[in-house]
Amino acid sequence: MSSLLYFLKESLTGFTRNLSTALGSIVTIFLSLLIIGIFLIGGFIVENVVSSVEDKVSISVWLSDDASDSDITTLQNYIQGLEGVESVGFTTKDQALENFRNSMTSNPEIVDQLDGQNPLPASIEVELADPQMVETIAGQIQSNDTFTKICDNPADPADSLKYGQKSVERLFSLTNYIRYIGIALIALLIFIAMVFINNTIRLAILARRKEIAIMRLVGASNGFIRGPFLMEGALHAIIGSLLAVGSLELLRSLVFPKISSALVWLPLDLGGSTTFMIYAILVVAGLVIGLLGSALAMRRYLKV
Amino acid sequence: MTNDNTFGAPARTGAHAGRPRQAASQLSASLPMLDVDDMPQPMGTPVITFDHVTKIYPAQPNKPALDDITLQIYAGEFVFLVGHSGSGKSTFIRMLIREVKPTQGHIYVADEDLSTMRNWRVPYLRRNIGCVFQDFKLLPNKTVFENVAFALEVIGKSRHVIKTQVPEVLRLVGLQDKLNKRPDQLSGGEQQRVSIARAIVNRPPLLICDEPTGNLDPQTSRGIMDLLERINRTGTTVLVATHDREMVDNMRRRVIALDKGHLTRDQDRGVYGFDV
Repeated sequence: MSSLLYFLKESLTGFTRNLSTALGSIVTIFLSLLIIGIFLIGGFIVENVVSSVEDKVSISVWLSDDASDSDITTLQNYIQGLEGVESVGFTTKDQALENFRNSMTSNPEIVDQLDGQNPLPASIEVELADPQMVETIAGQIQSNDTFTKICDNPADPADSLKYGQKSVERLFSLTNYIRYIGIALIALLIFIAMVFINNTIRLAILARRKEIAIMRLVGASNGFIRGPFLMEGALHAIIGSLLAVGSLELLRSLVFPKISSALVWLPLDLGGSTTFMIYAILVVAGLVIGLLGSALAMRRYLKV
Repeated sequence: MTNDNTFGAPARTGAHAGRPRQAASQLSASLPMLDVDDMPQPMGTPVITFDHVTKIYPAQPNKPALDDITLQIYAGEFVFLVGHSGSGKSTFIRMLIREVKPTQGHIYVADEDLSTMRNWRVPYLRRNIGCVFQDFKLLPNKTVFENVAFALEVIGKSRHVIKTQVPEVLRLVGLQDKLNKRPDQLSGGEQQRVSIARAIVNRPPLLICDEPTGNLDPQTSRGIMDLLERINRTGTTVLVATHDREMVDNMRRRVIALDKGHLTRDQDRGVYGFDV
Protein backbone atom coordinates (compact mmCIF):
# COMPACT_ATOMS: atom_id res chain seq x y z
CA MET A 1 0.00 0.00 0.00
CA SER A 2 2.77 2.40 0.94
CA SER A 3 4.65 1.52 -2.22
CA LEU A 4 1.49 2.11 -4.25
CA LEU A 5 1.34 5.59 -2.76
CA TYR A 6 5.02 5.97 -3.54
CA PHE A 7 4.38 4.98 -7.19
CA LEU A 8 1.59 7.51 -7.44
CA LYS A 9 3.70 10.26 -5.87
CA GLU A 10 6.68 9.43 -8.08
CA SER A 11 4.60 9.27 -11.23
CA LEU A 12 3.08 12.66 -10.41
CA THR A 13 6.45 14.29 -9.71
CA GLY A 14 7.85 12.57 -12.77
CA PHE A 15 4.98 14.07 -14.66
CA THR A 16 5.71 17.64 -13.61
CA ARG A 17 9.48 17.19 -13.79
CA ASN A 18 9.50 15.80 -17.32
CA LEU A 19 6.67 17.97 -18.51
CA SER A 20 7.81 18.20 -22.13
CA THR A 21 8.20 14.44 -22.65
CA ALA A 22 4.97 13.85 -20.75
CA LEU A 23 3.15 16.31 -22.99
CA GLY A 24 4.78 14.65 -25.99
CA SER A 25 3.43 11.24 -25.17
CA ILE A 26 0.01 12.61 -24.16
CA VAL A 27 -0.30 14.47 -27.46
CA THR A 28 0.82 11.39 -29.39
CA ILE A 29 -1.73 9.20 -27.64
CA PHE A 30 -4.40 11.88 -28.03
CA LEU A 31 -3.87 12.35 -31.77
CA SER A 32 -3.57 8.62 -32.50
CA LEU A 33 -6.73 7.82 -30.60
CA LEU A 34 -8.56 10.79 -32.12
CA ILE A 35 -7.78 9.56 -35.63
CA ILE A 36 -8.67 6.00 -34.72
CA GLY A 37 -11.88 7.29 -33.14
CA ILE A 38 -12.82 9.30 -36.22
CA PHE A 39 -12.26 6.25 -38.38
CA LEU A 40 -14.21 4.03 -35.99
CA ILE A 41 -17.18 6.41 -36.05
CA GLY A 42 -16.85 6.75 -39.82
CA GLY A 43 -16.71 2.98 -40.08
CA PHE A 44 -19.84 2.54 -37.99
CA ILE A 45 -21.68 5.15 -40.08
CA VAL A 46 -20.62 3.47 -43.33
CA GLU A 47 -21.68 0.15 -41.88
CA ASN A 48 -25.08 1.66 -40.97
CA VAL A 49 -25.51 3.06 -44.47
CA VAL A 50 -24.40 -0.16 -46.09
CA SER A 51 -26.73 -2.35 -44.07
CA SER A 52 -29.66 0.03 -44.52
CA VAL A 53 -29.08 -0.13 -48.26
CA GLU A 54 -28.75 -3.89 -48.11
CA ASP A 55 -31.96 -4.19 -46.14
CA LYS A 56 -33.80 -2.66 -49.06
CA VAL A 57 -32.92 -5.68 -51.18
CA SER A 58 -36.02 -7.85 -51.65
CA ILE A 59 -37.40 -10.12 -54.34
CA SER A 60 -40.64 -9.43 -56.20
CA VAL A 61 -42.27 -12.42 -57.82
CA TRP A 62 -44.67 -11.17 -60.54
CA LEU A 63 -47.66 -13.36 -61.08
CA SER A 64 -49.84 -13.91 -64.11
CA ASP A 65 -53.33 -12.35 -63.94
CA ASP A 66 -55.05 -15.72 -64.17
CA ALA A 67 -53.09 -17.54 -61.46
CA SER A 68 -55.40 -19.48 -59.16
CA ASP A 69 -55.53 -18.67 -55.45
CA SER A 70 -54.45 -22.18 -54.49
CA ASP A 71 -51.35 -22.00 -56.73
CA ILE A 72 -50.45 -18.65 -55.21
CA THR A 73 -50.78 -20.07 -51.71
CA THR A 74 -48.67 -23.10 -52.64
CA LEU A 75 -45.91 -20.85 -54.02
CA GLN A 76 -46.13 -18.58 -50.97
CA ASN A 77 -45.74 -21.55 -48.64
CA TYR A 78 -42.86 -22.89 -50.69
CA ILE A 79 -40.98 -19.57 -50.56
CA GLN A 80 -41.73 -19.18 -46.88
CA GLY A 81 -40.08 -22.57 -46.32
CA LEU A 82 -36.83 -21.55 -48.03
CA GLU A 83 -33.79 -20.94 -45.89
CA GLY A 84 -32.87 -17.28 -45.51
CA VAL A 85 -36.39 -15.93 -46.12
CA GLU A 86 -37.62 -13.53 -43.47
CA SER A 87 -41.22 -12.95 -44.54
CA VAL A 88 -43.47 -13.30 -47.54
CA GLY A 89 -46.15 -10.78 -48.46
CA PHE A 90 -48.75 -10.66 -51.20
CA THR A 91 -49.67 -7.61 -53.25
CA THR A 92 -52.84 -7.76 -55.32
CA LYS A 93 -53.19 -5.96 -58.65
CA ASP A 94 -55.26 -3.22 -56.98
CA GLN A 95 -52.71 -2.69 -54.24
CA ALA A 96 -49.94 -2.54 -56.85
CA LEU A 97 -51.81 0.22 -58.67
CA GLU A 98 -52.41 2.02 -55.40
CA ASN A 99 -48.68 1.84 -54.55
CA PHE A 100 -47.85 3.10 -58.00
CA ARG A 101 -50.28 5.99 -57.63
CA ASN A 102 -48.73 6.88 -54.26
CA SER A 103 -45.22 6.91 -55.63
CA MET A 104 -46.32 9.10 -58.53
CA THR A 105 -47.97 11.85 -56.47
CA SER A 106 -45.72 14.46 -58.10
CA ASN A 107 -47.20 13.81 -61.54
CA PRO A 108 -50.58 12.12 -61.15
CA GLU A 109 -51.39 12.53 -64.87
CA ILE A 110 -49.35 9.40 -65.59
CA VAL A 111 -51.84 7.36 -63.62
CA ASP A 112 -54.74 9.14 -65.29
CA GLN A 113 -53.30 8.16 -68.67
CA LEU A 114 -54.04 4.52 -67.79
CA ASP A 115 -57.75 5.14 -68.47
CA GLY A 116 -58.91 2.85 -65.65
CA GLN A 117 -56.92 -0.11 -66.93
CA ASN A 118 -54.50 -1.87 -64.60
CA PRO A 119 -51.34 -3.08 -66.37
CA LEU A 120 -49.61 -4.02 -63.13
CA PRO A 121 -49.35 -7.68 -62.13
CA ALA A 122 -50.07 -9.07 -58.66
CA SER A 123 -46.87 -10.06 -56.90
CA ILE A 124 -45.36 -11.93 -53.94
CA GLU A 125 -42.92 -9.78 -51.97
CA VAL A 126 -40.07 -11.72 -50.36
CA GLU A 127 -38.11 -10.08 -47.53
CA LEU A 128 -34.74 -11.68 -46.86
CA ALA A 129 -33.11 -12.41 -43.51
CA ASP A 130 -29.70 -12.25 -45.11
CA PRO A 131 -29.57 -9.91 -48.11
CA GLN A 132 -26.40 -11.62 -49.35
CA MET A 133 -28.46 -14.77 -50.14
CA VAL A 134 -30.62 -13.09 -52.72
CA GLU A 135 -29.08 -14.97 -55.68
CA THR A 136 -29.56 -18.41 -54.15
CA ILE A 137 -33.15 -17.79 -53.14
CA ALA A 138 -34.03 -16.31 -56.50
CA GLY A 139 -32.58 -19.41 -58.15
CA GLN A 140 -34.61 -21.72 -55.95
CA ILE A 141 -37.84 -19.85 -56.69
CA GLN A 142 -37.14 -19.91 -60.40
CA SER A 143 -36.71 -23.67 -60.47
CA ASN A 144 -40.04 -24.22 -58.69
CA ASP A 145 -42.78 -25.79 -60.90
CA THR A 146 -45.64 -23.76 -59.47
CA PHE A 147 -43.68 -20.61 -60.19
CA THR A 148 -43.14 -21.49 -63.86
CA LYS A 149 -46.86 -22.25 -64.12
CA ILE A 150 -48.20 -18.99 -62.67
CA CYS A 151 -45.48 -16.50 -63.40
CA ASP A 152 -46.33 -13.32 -65.30
CA ASN A 153 -44.26 -14.17 -68.36
CA PRO A 154 -44.19 -17.98 -68.87
CA ALA A 155 -42.00 -17.58 -71.98
CA ASP A 156 -39.14 -16.34 -69.83
CA PRO A 157 -39.73 -17.13 -66.12
CA ALA A 158 -36.56 -15.29 -65.06
CA ASP A 159 -38.14 -12.08 -66.32
CA SER A 160 -40.85 -12.37 -63.66
CA LEU A 161 -38.33 -12.32 -60.79
CA LYS A 162 -37.35 -8.79 -59.99
CA TYR A 163 -34.47 -8.06 -57.61
CA GLY A 164 -32.22 -5.79 -59.65
CA GLN A 165 -29.79 -8.62 -60.40
CA LYS A 166 -26.82 -6.66 -61.68
CA SER A 167 -27.08 -3.68 -59.35
CA VAL A 168 -27.39 -5.95 -56.31
CA GLU A 169 -24.25 -7.81 -57.27
CA ARG A 170 -22.35 -4.61 -57.71
CA LEU A 171 -23.70 -3.18 -54.48
CA PHE A 172 -22.55 -6.18 -52.49
CA SER A 173 -19.05 -6.22 -53.93
CA LEU A 174 -18.84 -2.51 -53.20
CA THR A 175 -20.08 -2.80 -49.62
CA ASN A 176 -17.68 -5.67 -48.94
CA TYR A 177 -14.81 -3.61 -50.29
CA ILE A 178 -15.79 -0.73 -48.05
CA ARG A 179 -15.83 -3.05 -45.03
CA TYR A 180 -12.41 -4.57 -45.77
CA ILE A 181 -10.83 -1.19 -46.45
CA GLY A 182 -12.27 0.17 -43.19
CA ILE A 183 -10.91 -2.74 -41.14
CA ALA A 184 -7.50 -2.53 -42.82
CA LEU A 185 -7.31 1.24 -42.25
CA ILE A 186 -8.16 0.93 -38.58
CA ALA A 187 -5.62 -1.88 -38.11
CA LEU A 188 -2.97 0.23 -39.83
CA LEU A 189 -3.78 3.23 -37.67
CA ILE A 190 -3.58 1.17 -34.47
CA PHE A 191 -0.19 -0.15 -35.56
CA ILE A 192 1.09 3.35 -36.33
CA ALA A 193 -0.20 4.59 -32.98
CA MET A 194 1.58 1.73 -31.19
CA VAL A 195 4.88 2.56 -32.89
CA PHE A 196 4.56 6.28 -32.10
CA ILE A 197 3.58 5.75 -28.50
CA ASN A 198 6.24 3.14 -27.86
CA ASN A 199 8.82 5.54 -29.27
CA THR A 200 7.68 8.45 -27.17
CA ILE A 201 7.70 6.39 -24.00
CA ARG A 202 11.11 5.03 -24.85
CA LEU A 203 12.41 8.58 -25.15
CA ALA A 204 10.88 9.46 -21.80
CA ILE A 205 12.60 6.48 -20.20
CA LEU A 206 15.88 7.17 -21.96
CA ALA A 207 15.83 10.62 -20.39
CA ARG A 208 15.67 8.95 -16.99
CA ARG A 209 17.99 5.99 -17.49
CA LYS A 210 20.44 7.46 -14.99
CA GLU A 211 17.76 7.35 -12.37
CA ILE A 212 16.99 3.75 -13.24
CA ALA A 213 20.69 2.81 -13.07
CA ILE A 214 20.96 4.31 -9.58
CA MET A 215 17.80 2.59 -8.44
CA ARG A 216 19.28 -0.72 -9.51
CA LEU A 217 22.57 0.12 -7.82
CA VAL A 218 21.01 0.71 -4.44
CA GLY A 219 19.00 -2.50 -4.71
CA ALA A 220 15.51 -1.50 -5.80
CA SER A 221 13.61 -4.52 -7.09
CA ASN A 222 12.51 -4.52 -10.72
CA GLY A 223 8.87 -4.25 -9.76
CA PHE A 224 9.66 -1.19 -7.71
CA ILE A 225 11.53 0.44 -10.58
CA ARG A 226 8.82 -0.40 -13.07
CA GLY A 227 5.96 0.83 -10.89
CA PRO A 228 6.22 4.59 -11.32
CA PHE A 229 6.94 4.29 -15.03
CA LEU A 230 3.92 2.09 -15.67
CA MET A 231 1.81 4.42 -13.56
CA GLU A 232 3.09 7.36 -15.57
CA GLY A 233 2.41 5.57 -18.86
CA ALA A 234 -1.12 4.79 -17.70
CA LEU A 235 -1.60 8.40 -16.58
CA HIS A 236 -0.51 9.72 -19.98
CA ALA A 237 -2.74 7.20 -21.73
CA ILE A 238 -5.80 8.11 -19.66
CA ILE A 239 -5.31 11.85 -20.16
CA GLY A 240 -4.66 11.36 -23.89
CA SER A 241 -7.67 9.12 -24.41
CA LEU A 242 -9.98 11.38 -22.40
CA LEU A 243 -8.87 14.31 -24.55
CA ALA A 244 -9.58 12.24 -27.65
CA VAL A 245 -13.03 11.24 -26.37
CA GLY A 246 -13.77 14.85 -25.47
CA SER A 247 -12.82 16.10 -28.93
CA LEU A 248 -14.87 13.37 -30.60
CA GLU A 249 -17.89 14.29 -28.48
CA LEU A 250 -17.41 17.94 -29.41
CA LEU A 251 -17.13 16.97 -33.07
CA ARG A 252 -20.27 14.86 -32.81
CA SER A 253 -22.37 17.58 -31.19
CA LEU A 254 -21.15 20.45 -33.35
CA VAL A 255 -20.43 19.02 -36.79
CA PHE A 256 -22.87 16.12 -37.14
CA PRO A 257 -26.06 18.21 -37.07
CA LYS A 258 -24.72 20.31 -39.95
CA ILE A 259 -23.79 17.30 -42.05
CA SER A 260 -27.04 15.50 -41.43
CA SER A 261 -29.11 18.54 -42.38
CA ALA A 262 -27.15 18.69 -45.64
CA LEU A 263 -27.27 14.95 -46.33
CA VAL A 264 -30.64 13.82 -45.09
CA TRP A 265 -30.39 10.35 -46.58
CA LEU A 266 -27.33 9.51 -44.42
CA PRO A 267 -28.27 7.79 -41.16
CA LEU A 268 -25.63 9.70 -39.16
CA ASP A 269 -26.95 9.15 -35.69
CA LEU A 270 -25.16 6.22 -34.11
CA GLY A 271 -27.25 5.99 -30.99
CA GLY A 272 -25.99 6.42 -27.45
CA SER A 273 -24.86 2.85 -26.82
CA THR A 274 -22.69 2.62 -29.94
CA THR A 275 -21.09 5.99 -29.19
CA PHE A 276 -20.44 4.95 -25.62
CA MET A 277 -18.94 1.68 -26.84
CA ILE A 278 -16.57 3.53 -29.20
CA TYR A 279 -15.48 5.83 -26.37
CA ALA A 280 -14.94 2.89 -24.03
CA ILE A 281 -12.91 1.11 -26.73
CA LEU A 282 -10.74 4.19 -27.13
CA VAL A 283 -10.04 4.58 -23.40
CA VAL A 284 -9.30 0.89 -22.92
CA ALA A 285 -7.12 0.79 -26.05
CA GLY A 286 -5.23 3.85 -24.82
CA LEU A 287 -4.65 2.26 -21.44
CA VAL A 288 -3.45 -1.00 -22.95
CA ILE A 289 -1.16 0.82 -25.39
CA GLY A 290 0.23 3.02 -22.61
CA LEU A 291 0.92 0.17 -20.18
CA LEU A 292 2.22 -2.21 -22.84
CA GLY A 293 4.34 0.50 -24.42
CA SER A 294 5.94 1.42 -21.09
CA ALA A 295 6.55 -2.19 -20.11
CA LEU A 296 8.14 -3.01 -23.48
CA ALA A 297 10.24 0.14 -23.55
CA MET A 298 11.47 -0.52 -20.00
CA ARG A 299 12.45 -4.10 -20.53
CA ARG A 300 15.99 -3.51 -21.72
CA TYR A 301 16.82 -1.26 -18.78
CA LEU A 302 15.79 -3.87 -16.26
CA LYS A 303 18.08 -6.68 -17.34
CA VAL A 304 20.15 -7.63 -14.33
CA MET B 1 58.67 -6.50 -2.04
CA THR B 2 57.11 -7.33 -5.39
CA ASN B 3 56.09 -10.83 -6.17
CA ASP B 4 57.48 -12.25 -9.40
CA ASN B 5 55.34 -15.37 -9.32
CA THR B 6 52.87 -13.77 -11.68
CA PHE B 7 51.01 -16.88 -12.73
CA GLY B 8 50.97 -18.69 -9.42
CA ALA B 9 48.01 -16.93 -7.86
CA PRO B 10 46.08 -19.98 -6.58
CA ALA B 11 49.01 -21.77 -4.98
CA ARG B 12 50.20 -18.56 -3.47
CA THR B 13 46.88 -17.70 -1.93
CA GLY B 14 46.69 -21.19 -0.51
CA ALA B 15 49.89 -20.54 1.36
CA HIS B 16 48.32 -17.34 2.63
CA ALA B 17 45.42 -19.10 4.30
CA GLY B 18 46.24 -17.97 7.82
CA ARG B 19 47.09 -14.41 6.97
CA PRO B 20 43.80 -12.51 6.85
CA ARG B 21 42.70 -14.05 10.11
CA GLN B 22 45.73 -12.54 11.70
CA ALA B 23 45.01 -9.18 10.13
CA ALA B 24 41.46 -9.29 11.32
CA SER B 25 42.43 -10.03 14.89
CA GLN B 26 44.90 -7.17 14.85
CA LEU B 27 42.14 -4.96 13.60
CA SER B 28 39.65 -6.04 16.18
CA ALA B 29 42.16 -5.41 18.92
CA SER B 30 42.37 -1.79 17.83
CA LEU B 31 38.60 -1.33 17.77
CA PRO B 32 36.26 -0.67 20.67
CA MET B 33 34.21 -3.71 21.70
CA LEU B 34 30.94 -2.13 20.68
CA ASP B 35 32.00 -1.94 17.06
CA VAL B 36 32.85 -5.60 17.01
CA ASP B 37 29.40 -6.45 18.30
CA ASP B 38 27.84 -4.39 15.52
CA MET B 39 29.49 -6.45 12.85
CA PRO B 40 27.22 -8.44 10.59
CA GLN B 41 29.83 -11.22 10.22
CA PRO B 42 31.83 -12.73 13.02
CA MET B 43 35.54 -12.15 12.58
CA GLY B 44 37.27 -14.89 10.73
CA THR B 45 34.60 -15.67 8.16
CA PRO B 46 35.19 -14.22 4.72
CA VAL B 47 32.79 -11.57 3.42
CA ILE B 48 34.06 -12.06 -0.11
CA THR B 49 35.49 -15.27 -1.54
CA PHE B 50 36.81 -15.62 -5.10
CA ASP B 51 37.27 -19.28 -5.95
CA HIS B 52 39.28 -19.76 -9.18
CA VAL B 53 37.33 -17.03 -10.91
CA THR B 54 37.88 -16.43 -14.63
CA LYS B 55 36.01 -13.90 -16.71
CA ILE B 56 36.23 -13.87 -20.48
CA TYR B 57 34.23 -11.25 -22.37
CA PRO B 58 32.85 -12.51 -25.70
CA ALA B 59 34.52 -9.61 -27.53
CA GLN B 60 38.00 -10.79 -26.49
CA PRO B 61 37.95 -14.60 -26.25
CA ASN B 62 41.74 -14.91 -26.04
CA LYS B 63 42.31 -12.25 -23.42
CA PRO B 64 40.57 -12.99 -20.12
CA ALA B 65 39.62 -9.90 -18.12
CA LEU B 66 40.31 -11.90 -14.96
CA ASP B 67 42.26 -15.15 -15.00
CA ASP B 68 41.90 -17.74 -12.24
CA ILE B 69 41.62 -15.38 -9.28
CA THR B 70 41.38 -16.92 -5.82
CA LEU B 71 41.26 -14.73 -2.73
CA GLN B 72 39.31 -13.99 0.40
CA ILE B 73 38.39 -10.72 2.08
CA TYR B 74 37.36 -10.82 5.71
CA ALA B 75 34.89 -8.79 7.71
CA GLY B 76 36.25 -5.48 8.90
CA GLU B 77 39.15 -5.35 6.46
CA PHE B 78 40.17 -2.28 4.48
CA VAL B 79 41.47 -3.44 1.10
CA PHE B 80 43.00 -1.56 -1.81
CA LEU B 81 42.57 -3.03 -5.27
CA VAL B 82 45.29 -1.59 -7.50
CA GLY B 83 46.31 -2.03 -11.11
CA HIS B 84 46.63 -0.21 -14.40
CA SER B 85 43.69 0.51 -16.65
CA GLY B 86 42.49 -2.72 -18.19
CA SER B 87 43.95 -4.83 -15.40
CA GLY B 88 40.53 -6.11 -14.42
CA LYS B 89 39.66 -3.88 -11.45
CA SER B 90 36.31 -2.82 -12.83
CA THR B 91 35.43 -6.38 -13.82
CA PHE B 92 36.29 -7.44 -10.27
CA ILE B 93 33.86 -4.87 -8.86
CA ARG B 94 31.14 -5.46 -11.41
CA MET B 95 31.22 -9.13 -10.53
CA LEU B 96 30.79 -8.38 -6.84
CA ILE B 97 27.51 -6.57 -7.45
CA ARG B 98 26.65 -9.22 -10.02
CA GLU B 99 26.48 -6.92 -12.99
CA VAL B 100 28.51 -9.62 -14.76
CA LYS B 101 28.78 -13.30 -13.98
CA PRO B 102 32.09 -15.20 -13.91
CA THR B 103 32.83 -17.44 -16.89
CA GLN B 104 34.37 -20.02 -14.58
CA GLY B 105 34.68 -20.39 -10.83
CA HIS B 106 32.53 -19.14 -7.99
CA ILE B 107 32.17 -15.87 -6.12
CA TYR B 108 30.68 -15.90 -2.64
CA VAL B 109 29.48 -12.75 -0.90
CA ALA B 110 28.39 -13.47 2.68
CA ASP B 111 28.22 -17.20 1.92
CA GLU B 112 25.95 -16.71 -1.06
CA ASP B 113 27.13 -18.04 -4.43
CA LEU B 114 26.68 -15.24 -6.97
CA SER B 115 27.05 -17.52 -9.99
CA THR B 116 23.97 -19.53 -9.05
CA MET B 117 22.02 -16.63 -7.58
CA ARG B 118 18.56 -16.09 -9.10
CA ASN B 119 17.98 -12.77 -10.84
CA TRP B 120 15.25 -11.68 -8.46
CA ARG B 121 17.65 -12.04 -5.53
CA VAL B 122 20.17 -9.60 -7.02
CA PRO B 123 18.48 -6.45 -5.65
CA TYR B 124 18.70 -7.95 -2.15
CA LEU B 125 22.42 -8.61 -2.65
CA ARG B 126 22.92 -4.99 -3.68
CA ARG B 127 21.18 -3.73 -0.57
CA ASN B 128 24.05 -5.27 1.40
CA ILE B 129 26.73 -3.62 -0.72
CA GLY B 130 27.28 0.14 -0.76
CA CYS B 131 28.76 1.45 -4.01
CA VAL B 132 30.71 4.63 -4.66
CA PHE B 133 31.91 5.64 -8.12
CA GLN B 134 34.31 8.08 -9.67
CA ASP B 135 31.48 9.99 -11.35
CA PHE B 136 29.33 10.14 -8.17
CA LYS B 137 26.13 9.04 -9.96
CA LEU B 138 23.93 11.58 -8.18
CA LEU B 139 20.55 12.63 -9.49
CA PRO B 140 20.96 16.24 -10.64
CA ASN B 141 17.36 17.28 -10.06
CA LYS B 142 17.15 16.07 -6.46
CA THR B 143 18.56 17.76 -3.39
CA VAL B 144 21.31 16.25 -1.24
CA PHE B 145 18.71 15.03 1.24
CA GLU B 146 16.54 13.54 -1.52
CA ASN B 147 19.50 11.84 -3.17
CA VAL B 148 20.38 10.03 0.04
CA ALA B 149 16.74 9.40 0.94
CA PHE B 150 16.23 7.88 -2.53
CA ALA B 151 18.38 4.90 -1.57
CA LEU B 152 16.09 4.19 1.37
CA GLU B 153 12.84 4.97 -0.47
CA VAL B 154 13.44 2.49 -3.25
CA ILE B 155 14.04 -0.36 -0.83
CA GLY B 156 10.77 0.48 0.88
CA LYS B 157 11.94 2.08 4.13
CA SER B 158 9.35 4.07 6.05
CA ARG B 159 9.26 7.85 6.13
CA HIS B 160 10.21 7.80 9.79
CA VAL B 161 13.40 5.81 9.16
CA ILE B 162 14.31 8.16 6.32
CA LYS B 163 13.78 11.27 8.45
CA THR B 164 16.08 10.00 11.19
CA GLN B 165 18.78 8.19 9.22
CA VAL B 166 19.44 10.62 6.39
CA PRO B 167 20.42 13.65 8.54
CA GLU B 168 22.50 11.35 10.71
CA VAL B 169 24.53 9.96 7.84
CA LEU B 170 24.92 13.43 6.31
CA ARG B 171 26.32 14.63 9.63
CA LEU B 172 28.77 11.72 9.52
CA VAL B 173 30.11 12.86 6.14
CA GLY B 174 30.09 16.51 7.25
CA LEU B 175 27.31 17.82 5.00
CA GLN B 176 24.71 18.60 7.66
CA ASP B 177 24.50 22.22 6.42
CA LYS B 178 23.90 21.36 2.77
CA LEU B 179 20.76 19.21 2.99
CA ASN B 180 18.80 21.36 0.55
CA LYS B 181 21.51 22.06 -1.98
CA ARG B 182 21.47 20.37 -5.34
CA PRO B 183 24.51 18.45 -6.63
CA ASP B 184 25.51 21.17 -9.10
CA GLN B 185 25.79 23.61 -6.19
CA LEU B 186 28.40 21.42 -4.48
CA SER B 187 32.13 20.93 -5.02
CA GLY B 188 33.45 17.61 -6.34
CA GLY B 189 34.56 16.48 -2.90
CA GLU B 190 31.17 17.34 -1.42
CA GLN B 191 29.40 15.46 -4.19
CA GLN B 192 31.53 12.41 -3.49
CA ARG B 193 30.62 12.71 0.20
CA VAL B 194 26.94 12.67 -0.79
CA SER B 195 27.45 9.53 -2.81
CA ILE B 196 29.29 7.92 0.11
CA ALA B 197 26.44 8.93 2.40
CA ARG B 198 24.00 7.33 -0.02
CA ALA B 199 26.08 4.17 -0.13
CA ILE B 200 26.23 3.75 3.66
CA VAL B 201 22.85 5.12 4.75
CA ASN B 202 21.44 1.62 4.57
CA ARG B 203 24.32 0.41 6.84
CA PRO B 204 25.62 -2.22 4.45
CA PRO B 205 28.30 -4.56 5.80
CA LEU B 206 30.37 -4.04 2.64
CA LEU B 207 31.35 -0.79 0.93
CA ILE B 208 32.86 -0.90 -2.56
CA CYS B 209 34.47 2.20 -4.06
CA ASP B 210 35.56 2.35 -7.71
CA GLU B 211 38.14 5.15 -8.06
CA PRO B 212 36.44 7.29 -5.40
CA THR B 213 39.12 9.98 -5.67
CA GLY B 214 39.69 9.76 -9.42
CA ASN B 215 38.15 13.17 -10.07
CA LEU B 216 39.40 14.99 -6.98
CA ASP B 217 42.49 16.99 -6.01
CA PRO B 218 44.96 15.42 -3.53
CA GLN B 219 43.75 17.31 -0.49
CA THR B 220 40.10 16.51 -1.09
CA SER B 221 41.10 12.93 -1.79
CA ARG B 222 42.68 12.70 1.63
CA GLY B 223 39.46 13.90 3.19
CA ILE B 224 37.52 11.21 1.34
CA MET B 225 40.00 8.54 2.41
CA ASP B 226 39.76 9.69 6.04
CA LEU B 227 36.03 9.32 5.76
CA LEU B 228 36.35 5.82 4.33
CA GLU B 229 38.71 4.91 7.13
CA ARG B 230 36.24 6.19 9.73
CA ILE B 231 33.52 4.10 8.11
CA ASN B 232 35.83 1.09 8.19
CA ARG B 233 36.39 1.65 11.90
CA THR B 234 32.70 1.14 12.56
CA GLY B 235 33.07 -2.40 11.25
CA THR B 236 32.20 -1.99 7.61
CA THR B 237 34.39 -3.92 5.20
CA VAL B 238 35.77 -1.46 2.66
CA LEU B 239 37.16 -2.31 -0.77
CA VAL B 240 38.71 0.56 -2.73
CA ALA B 241 39.85 0.28 -6.34
CA THR B 242 42.29 3.06 -7.10
CA HIS B 243 45.33 4.35 -9.00
CA ASP B 244 46.08 6.81 -6.24
CA ARG B 245 49.67 5.82 -5.46
CA GLU B 246 50.14 8.37 -2.67
CA MET B 247 47.01 7.25 -0.87
CA VAL B 248 47.90 3.56 -0.97
CA ASP B 249 51.49 4.21 0.14
CA ASN B 250 50.38 6.46 3.00
CA MET B 251 47.65 4.29 4.42
CA ARG B 252 49.51 0.99 4.46
CA ARG B 253 46.53 -1.32 4.24
CA ARG B 254 46.10 -4.66 2.53
CA VAL B 255 46.84 -4.30 -1.18
CA ILE B 256 45.59 -6.62 -3.91
CA ALA B 257 47.35 -5.94 -7.20
CA LEU B 258 45.97 -7.00 -10.58
CA ASP B 259 47.88 -6.98 -13.84
CA LYS B 260 46.28 -8.00 -17.14
CA GLY B 261 43.75 -10.09 -15.29
CA HIS B 262 46.21 -11.88 -13.04
CA LEU B 263 46.54 -11.55 -9.31
CA THR B 264 50.16 -10.43 -8.97
CA ARG B 265 50.37 -9.44 -5.33
CA ASP B 266 48.36 -9.65 -2.13
CA GLN B 267 50.04 -8.18 0.91
CA ASP B 268 49.21 -6.66 4.27
CA ARG B 269 50.28 -3.07 4.83
CA GLY B 270 51.25 -2.94 1.17
CA VAL B 271 52.23 -0.13 -1.17
CA TYR B 272 51.05 0.77 -4.64
CA GLY B 273 54.11 -0.88 -6.13
CA PHE B 274 53.61 -0.25 -9.86
CA ASP B 275 56.12 1.87 -11.73
CA VAL B 276 54.45 4.80 -13.32
